[in-house]
Amino acid sequence: MNDMTPTREQRTAALEGMGCKRKRVEDIRFTQGKGNYVDDVKLPGMLHGDFVRSPHPHARVKSIDDSEALKVPGVLAVITAETLKTVNLAWMPTLAGDVQMVLADGKVLFQNQEVAFVVATDRYAADDGINKVKVEYEPLPPLVDPFKSMDPNAPVLREDLAGKTSGAHGPRKHHNHIFEWTVGDKELTDAAFNKAEVTIKEMISYHRTHPSPLETCQCVCSFDKIKGELTIWGTFQAPHVIRTVVALIAKLPEQKIHVIAPDIGGGFGNKVGAYPGYICAAVASIVTGKPVKWVEDRIENLTATSFARDYHMTTEIAATKEGKVTGLRVHVLADHGAFDACADPSKWPAGFFNIVTGSYDFPTAHLAVDGVYTNKAPGGVAYRCSFRVTEAAYCIERAMDILAQKLGMDPAELRLKNFIKPEQFPYHSALGWEYDSGDYGTAMRKAMETVKYAELRKEQEQMRAAFKRGETREIMGIGVSFFTEIVGAGPSKNCDILGIAMFDSCEIRMHPTGAGIARMGTKSQGQGHETTWAQIIATEIGIPADNIMVEEGNTDTAPYGLGTYGSRSTPVAGAAIAMAARKIRAKAQMIAAYKLEVHEDDLEWDIDGFRVKGLPGKFMSMKDICWAAYNSVPPGMEPGLEAVSYYDPPNMTYPFGAYICVMTIDVDTGVYKVRRFYALDDCGTRINPMIIEGQVHGGLTEAFAIAMGQEIRYDAEGNVVTGSFMDFFMPTAVETPHWETDFTVTPSPHHPIGAKGVGESPNVGGVPAFSNAVNDAFSFLGSTHIQMPHDFWRNWAAAKSLGVFASA
Amino acid sequence: MQMNDSQRIPASKEKVWAALNDPDILRRCIPGCQSLEMASPTEMTATIVLRVGPVKATFGGKVTLSELDPPNSYRISGEGSGGIAGFARGGALVTLASEGPDLTVLTYAVEAQIGGKLAQLGGRLIDSTARKLAGEFFKSFGEVVGQAATAGV
Repeated sequence: MNDMTPTREQRTAALEGMGCKRKRVEDIRFTQGKGNYVDDVKLPGMLHGDFVRSPHPHARVKSIDDSEALKVPGVLAVITAETLKTVNLAWMPTLAGDVQMVLADGKVLFQNQEVAFVVATDRYAADDGINKVKVEYEPLPPLVDPFKSMDPNAPVLREDLAGKTSGAHGPRKHHNHIFEWTVGDKELTDAAFNKAEVTIKEMISYHRTHPSPLETCQCVCSFDKIKGELTIWGTFQAPHVIRTVVALIAKLPEQKIHVIAPDIGGGFGNKVGAYPGYICAAVASIVTGKPVKWVEDRIENLTATSFARDYHMTTEIAATKEGKVTGLRVHVLADHGAFDACADPSKWPAGFFNIVTGSYDFPTAHLAVDGVYTNKAPGGVAYRCSFRVTEAAYCIERAMDILAQKLGMDPAELRLKNFIKPEQFPYHSALGWEYDSGDYGTAMRKAMETVKYAELRKEQEQMRAAFKRGETREIMGIGVSFFTEIVGAGPSKNCDILGIAMFDSCEIRMHPTGAGIARMGTKSQGQGHETTWAQIIATEIGIPADNIMVEEGNTDTAPYGLGTYGSRSTPVAGAAIAMAARKIRAKAQMIAAYKLEVHEDDLEWDIDGFRVKGLPGKFMSMKDICWAAYNSVPPGMEPGLEAVSYYDPPNMTYPFGAYICVMTIDVDTGVYKVRRFYALDDCGTRINPMIIEGQVHGGLTEAFAIAMGQEIRYDAEGNVVTGSFMDFFMPTAVETPHWETDFTVTPSPHHPIGAKGVGESPNVGGVPAFSNAVNDAFSFLGSTHIQMPHDFWRNWAAAKSLGVFASA
Repeated sequence: MQMNDSQRIPASKEKVWAALNDPDILRRCIPGCQSLEMASPTEMTATIVLRVGPVKATFGGKVTLSELDPPNSYRISGEGSGGIAGFARGGALVTLASEGPDLTVLTYAVEAQIGGKLAQLGGRLIDSTARKLAGEFFKSFGEVVGQAATAGV
């Protein structure tokens, strides 16, 4: 060997594999404005469609008159429910087993519901056409408050369900009831409460909000009459699912549907479902024979396509005087809006909300969820979280703080006392999950030491004393949150969407020169898959990440997968990638053995190739093996080097983390200042630490937004009053606090590379950390629970209700 | 949304009452009113241009007078649609009381509801806008009626 021979470290570094802070390859085009989004798709003769929407939250549609609209220059067609009925598409199935109107069929059930679709030569003409469509409504009483939805005299919202006493998830108790879902042992739990020394009970609301990706939902549909083929470019987090849904409801042969998800500008759960815009654009293209583009504007996005949360969680904990939890009882009233269109795996009407026992060893628990209809937009999607997991984490993390307050214990101490211990893993929770791995105490203590938790509590004590002496008008809050997520849906034994098991997939094809292309069933919306997926392959097969092209989003070329949401990409597709790469390596080993004239058992893997054991000089690089795969494979072996893997995970993964937020609030103005936010995440094996950090920053910023102001609010008449970024809080760099990130590593024992998923953890753990900080700040003034979001006005109102202005 | 206020008008109760039933005076006093036509003694059709925050819309609708108790009180209610901008409906109970031969106190209790884009975008501006519009109406109404009364003397 001479000096030019690279060292092992150099060879490893050259791969830019797992653990490397590889720069995001997709950013080369994004930072130069060269991304290719749906709105960049421009086809010859392309038409534009836009919706006439209902100003009423609940009304009968008496008539629709499009005669004036059709006179507007450029307007070609106005599609209504009547048009859609001719192709049996006036209603469409939802992912939750309900049906949803594509266009208003006799009635509107929420403000801004789609009533008619105007197709024109350009967007301006379409808008002019919308202005000329005359719709006659007969307003009906709106139902806005979910707590009144099951009143005996509540208005009937879904006349299509008249007489149906059961739905997709069992019996219905009332005409506005969707489902009741129960988990856990009621008797045992009630018994625990009966003999409990201490109990708490609080109605904890997680308000309605919206994923609000900067790029709204949109599509271009192009029907080729000659070939009978439909091509759809769309903002789809799950392109294959969309293809199957289109095949099922439009009765088109699936091979003649081409779904392409190009670059996507954020999804956060908003782009999982199927929306009336997609159906109408497809029908319009079939009717006109021309491509039709539909692009939502901001108001439409915020008010009509999938909202998130609107969970009202009555939560009780039973405990001993010493603070050991003995039981958990939760009832959730879930407001689904006008149609049950939440995107959960089919058998899970409330998603994985039964992760609500959190990181704590509850001997028994019981959960009941009632889903109800209201005159609000449909949805209930997982906004940067796994299905209903952020609701569950918020619920238990607030409740633990409330219990700590009642016991007079420190909230961090209470958590440490009740954590599931490392030796209890795999841990079977009272509500049915098997937690894969965790070391909660280590993470919590590391967080407390880093922020100097004890000193912070002392400072808070002094500040409270000073406040009481009238020396300051600022109060200080320390928010502790310790979350356990359940992500990576999921095992075919309990997860499917419309009957399709929630596996994911990867296909790798190596080229002769030691490069390759890899395709997956997932779809990046900003997560950086093109970067990280290549890193997994690089480490597994010893080809530099730069030589692997990652391609997603085209259903004609990518293997079938269930898409990207619920932090499932790394746990499921990440595993498929590793497994496909291992198939490549296994074949490569046979080729290397043949070329090196040894038995394959005599070879050992060494970073970027195979070496004969005991003979360090006899080595064949993966690059050379790729070449050999195309000209000199062993006799009887097929040439080429490619592999496919469909991965059905044996279990979910359970990332966790410890977050601490330090905040001050001025009681006279309600203005808060986030002094410090520390986030420790344990997502198992870390593929690209830089991308993880970026994901955590993004997730924390969304958590900050939600906890501190971001809300979809309806007035008593059913008007959405937060329909634009004037009223819907979208933090910019100005409002966003500084984030400190940290980590521990507890690999998943069942995942091929031990990774757990991280993109959504910061939203799941961040929201309770902020809310606990606000609540902790006010607690010494006698408050138990203040509902989110904690904007300035609400903080001021909380201070006022606690009497801090009494002496003024 | 509810608004209650009153206004002193330097004219007799009868004159004020007549003005309250005079489409021409109403048209001049309703902010943004483009047209107002009597369809019957108790029904009018109106076109009004309204601006709330970023939304500007032309509302077409019906105005109805009811609970007539001349010359003491009536209820004026309206319902209008502004197309994609949304809709508005509401009413006011208007009561007159004499404070002297040429001085009338007009009291109004307004109830209004708006919906659609107006409510979504103008949300926080609606109350203040409605108050401003009601104020403008009764101010110019007072002026017009007062002037007419003075001129008539």
